[in-house]
Amino acid sequence: MSTLVAAAPGVYVREASAEVIKSARTPQFIIPTIVLPPAFYALFALGMGNGNIEMATHTLATFGVFAVMGPALFGFGANVAGERESGQLELKRISPMPAGAHIAAKLVATIVFSVIAFAIIYGLAVFAGVRLSPGQWAMVTSVHVIAVLPFALIGLGFGYRLGQKGAIAIANVVFLAMAVMGGLWMPVAVLPEVIQTIAWALPSYHLGELALMAVGQSDAANLWLHAGPLALITLAAAIFAWTGQGRHAA
Amino acid sequence: MPPTTSPIVARLEEVAKSYSGQSVLKGFDFALEAGSVVALLGPNGAGKSTVAGLITGRLAADAGAVNLFDRDPRDPESRARMGVMLQAAGLPEALTVAEAIDLHAGYFKRRLKTRDVLEQAGLSALAKRRCDKLSGGEQRRVHFALAIAGAPDFLVLDEPTTGFDPDSRRAMWRLVRDKADAGVAVLLATHHMDEADALADRIVVIADGRIIADGPPAAIKAKVAGSTIRIRTTLSPAHLQMLPGASKVDQRGADTAILTTNARATLEALFGADPALTDFEVASASLEDALADIIANTVKEAA
Repeated sequence: MSTLVAAAPGVYVREASAEVIKSARTPQFIIPTIVLPPAFYALFALGMGNGNIEMATHTLATFGVFAVMGPALFGFGANVAGERESGQLELKRISPMPAGAHIAAKLVATIVFSVIAFAIIYGLAVFAGVRLSPGQWAMVTSVHVIAVLPFALIGLGFGYRLGQKGAIAIANVVFLAMAVMGGLWMPVAVLPEVIQTIAWALPSYHLGELALMAVGQSDAANLWLHAGPLALITLAAAIFAWTGQGRHAA
Repeated sequence: MPPTTSPIVARLEEVAKSYSGQSVLKGFDFALEAGSVVALLGPNGAGKSTVAGLITGRLAADAGAVNLFDRDPRDPESRARMGVMLQAAGLPEALTVAEAIDLHAGYFKRRLKTRDVLEQAGLSALAKRRCDKLSGGEQRRVHFALAIAGAPDFLVLDEPTTGFDPDSRRAMWRLVRDKADAGVAVLLATHHMDEADALADRIVVIADGRIIADGPPAAIKAKVAGSTIRIRTTLSPAHLQMLPGASKVDQRGADTAILTTNARATLEALFGADPALTDFEVASASLEDALADIIANTVKEAA
């Protein structure tokens, strides 16, 4: 037990709560990540769906993935880039803070805000008449929480490599491209063939399909057809993030 | 008191460091003793920040040994005894001053109370202000607060007052002085001579990656001629350079400064050469003059 370095669990908790407080006080973060996805869901799925329960269920699954992408891409991409650029990360690195506390805190904050965003969507869905079994709710929630990981890693990889402005620009592009081409707004089947091919390389597509399986709108026999590529993409994203880490040492 | 096994806080032995083939430090030796305030002084690019970076563990040496409290500078145990004020550092914009200090202090077991840090950094009135609503000088005070929050035995301050007005500089100097008086060792990297003169009890002058002078401020000043004579004259610099005792002539417009080893002889000759001369001022050489002279001489020797 060190006499000088603070105990790690306490540092992890304080770092995570500071991260949640910072995000909660930043409207530029809250509005696009927490307000927008549920608003889109209300507009497209409910407002224009005219009481079509099947469509509301379908979009519940895919918009849940969409809701996770914002906090993960912006929280990790833009925020890490900003903290790195301004020297805040450097100061933490040369303090006795445990090395993992900073990333763990960001992960906690991302999960917190993702859960808030998709919980609002769940609430709207129930309000619109969507009914799922407890098992289905548990499965779709699991898929949406797992979705944090690949997007957080992609965001982190950009955050380590780009300045804040660049990271925000890239996060926006990735955010929209993943949503549209991954079939989160409308099914991939209605998109041009070339995009259907690209979709296979996108975590958003596979997560959307897995979420649809969870709510019983896609054949669960295809589980590994999507879980496999998703695992590979997540691994690639982890390598992308890990190799970006040393880039700020200069 | 923390367990101190050696009176040496930080030590660099035979250290070499280069960036993309460009050698910055070569065979560099340096030791900083507990309780001392050492200023690293030198022009930009001389290697000051590299020395500070090695001691704080931000940079790794290519060769040689770097020790902080007898350990690797990356060891959390040695880091926990050090407080650092980086040259360029932002703050968590959405946190208040008190929250930012509390978060950082929490990394250290031997931390100060947030209230005490605020008081010691002169920030009590700004405790509830968000960090993105602070002026540049106030932000710098928060950086100082973060540096002292863990009750360190050693403070590393990299250009702590760059961009300050004279009043805030003196206020920052007082804060540093208070810590030094309490026995905290300080490494101050600066290119302001007056800052080194005001704070340090030892000045280490670095140029081209090596130490060219090392001693108390008075000794550094004594390394050059005793006084500066300031006059307004029509005499040419070439003529002034020939005066007895004159070692250096610096002309800025109508104002001329003559660095001399013998003020009396220089003045007598001056009155003889320029009967119109009435206004003159004699002062002991400033540290700035001393430094410029040392660097110029070293460069001459090297050439």
